[in-house]
Amino acid sequence: MSDLLRQQFVLGYTYTRSTGPVVGRFLTELRQRKIVGTRGDDGRVFVPPMEFDPVTASALDEFVEVSDRGEVVSWCWISEPRDSHPFDEPFAWALVLLDGADVPMVHAVAAPEAEMHTGMRVQARWSEEPRGYITDIACFEPEVTQGEG
Amino acid sequence: MQYAAVTGIGQTQYKARRGDVSIAGLVHEAAQNALDDAGLGWDAIEAVIIGKAPDMFEGVIMPEVYLADALGCSGKPMLRVHTAGSVGGSTALVAASHVQSGTFRRVLTVTFEKQSESNAMWALSNPQPFSPHLNAGAGGYFAPIMREYMRRSGAPWDTGIKVAVKDRLHGSRNPLNHLQMPEITMQEVEESPMLWDPIRFLESCPSSDGACAMVIADEGLAKEGPKAPVWIRGGAMRSEPTMYAGRDEVNPQAGRDCAADVYAQAGIDDPRKQLDCAEVYVPFSWYEPMWLENLGFAEEGEGWKLTMDGATSLDEGGDIPWNCSGGVLCSNPIGASGMIRFAEAARQVRGDAGAHQVVGARTALGHAYGGGAQFYAMWVVSVDK
Repeated sequence: MSDLLRQQFVLGYTYTRSTGPVVGRFLTELRQRKIVGTRGDDGRVFVPPMEFDPVTASALDEFVEVSDRGEVVSWCWISEPRDSHPFDEPFAWALVLLDGADVPMVHAVAAPEAEMHTGMRVQARWSEEPRGYITDIACFEPEVTQGEG
Repeated sequence: MQYAAVTGIGQTQYKARRGDVSIAGLVHEAAQNALDDAGLGWDAIEAVIIGKAPDMFEGVIMPEVYLADALGCSGKPMLRVHTAGSVGGSTALVAASHVQSGTFRRVLTVTFEKQSESNAMWALSNPQPFSPHLNAGAGGYFAPIMREYMRRSGAPWDTGIKVAVKDRLHGSRNPLNHLQMPEITMQEVEESPMLWDPIRFLESCPSSDGACAMVIADEGLAKEGPKAPVWIRGGAMRSEPTMYAGRDEVNPQAGRDCAADVYAQAGIDDPRKQLDCAEVYVPFSWYEPMWLENLGFAEEGEGWKLTMDGATSLDEGGDIPWNCSGGVLCSNPIGASGMIRFAEAARQVRGDAGAHQVVGARTALGHAYGGGAQFYAMWVVSVDK
């Protein structure tokens, strides 16, 4: 019987993305170490911002700056980080509800596993040179309040 | 079957690059324009039928999922249509069938392409293992078919040039168009670079960003709209394989069958006489004479005579103007291009086509083709039910 041949091949193309006025503004504000959301028709503040209201479909253009501090509403511990993860050390993926926002956003929390809990207060650790990427927020870490030093 | 009518039409400006909007912003703009045109809010829509050319173009897989919010689909049925370049036409027909069947009373249908973000040139010429890479692109694929048409028909060499000029002159009447070339001449087209013999640069469609949307409603709701309903008198789709023994690529069977079906539904036996105008998918100039024959406007081998006699030209007072909007040769957001043909046919019938209006148009054909000239979608729309 003859060999049945098989061969791997790679398929890839180059693309461009236009972020538009809403996601674009969110990313641009990150460069100033600011986090903005949009206000939905029912008054809720979406962070990251949504371009269109998920209920009414109207274009959302009222930007609201929110805090870079907030609360963990849910989390999952990554005990063995992989190469594509943001840290070599174990960390948590968490839904963080920023102060002033009405929906949580996903981000990484760098904290000891023993400290992780739903309801824990966290604050953003900004990257040294923000450039308009979501990774300008390097991660969230346990909040340090005034007086704690 | 229920009667169905177009009650709202919305288009975006067509441009090389809509860098001011995301893909979601682009489709929302067309949809909002269609709703405004129909005098409706998002609540009035029962379902959304969306189409675009293959996902590989922008590299966003299943973009309809991400676009649900932008199209008001929360809690509503949404369906995606895939038929390559003909998808704009097929999507309109799928939307119409949801009304004709009585499944929904009023639907929104939207199609788009954002070529500035995509790789449409090569994304359909994928390299395959054990083979050299074809790397043809659409122009390279269709060029030998156009050459064969020239050989068979004995058409004058400059027929394609005439189409390129005619459609750009038509297109300069339509402010939505990407290409605006009111001063174009036969000489300018002839002197433009030869890309894929016999197709020169100016005989080829541009790469555009844009979206097109329509609202389609049943008889009762259509009569409530602020504008006169445009009745869908017939709709048909046909497909054939890219390759099979005996395939006639110049005059494909699927195109002829699709035309015969849509004409039978609309009661048309002489399209040149009974239609007032047509919006036909002509991305490369020579496809006008080829489709004139495939769609029964001329006998086989005679299509070029209509083109050269000015029969398809608004400016020359032709009896059957083709692509008064400027057609695909003036704007080509691929996934939307077929729907633009369908929508522009409806605008003609509604009498609101602006400076490219065919005076007194009552019945018009919208046509789209795609893939290796293997997918066809057509509708006939009319002021009469």
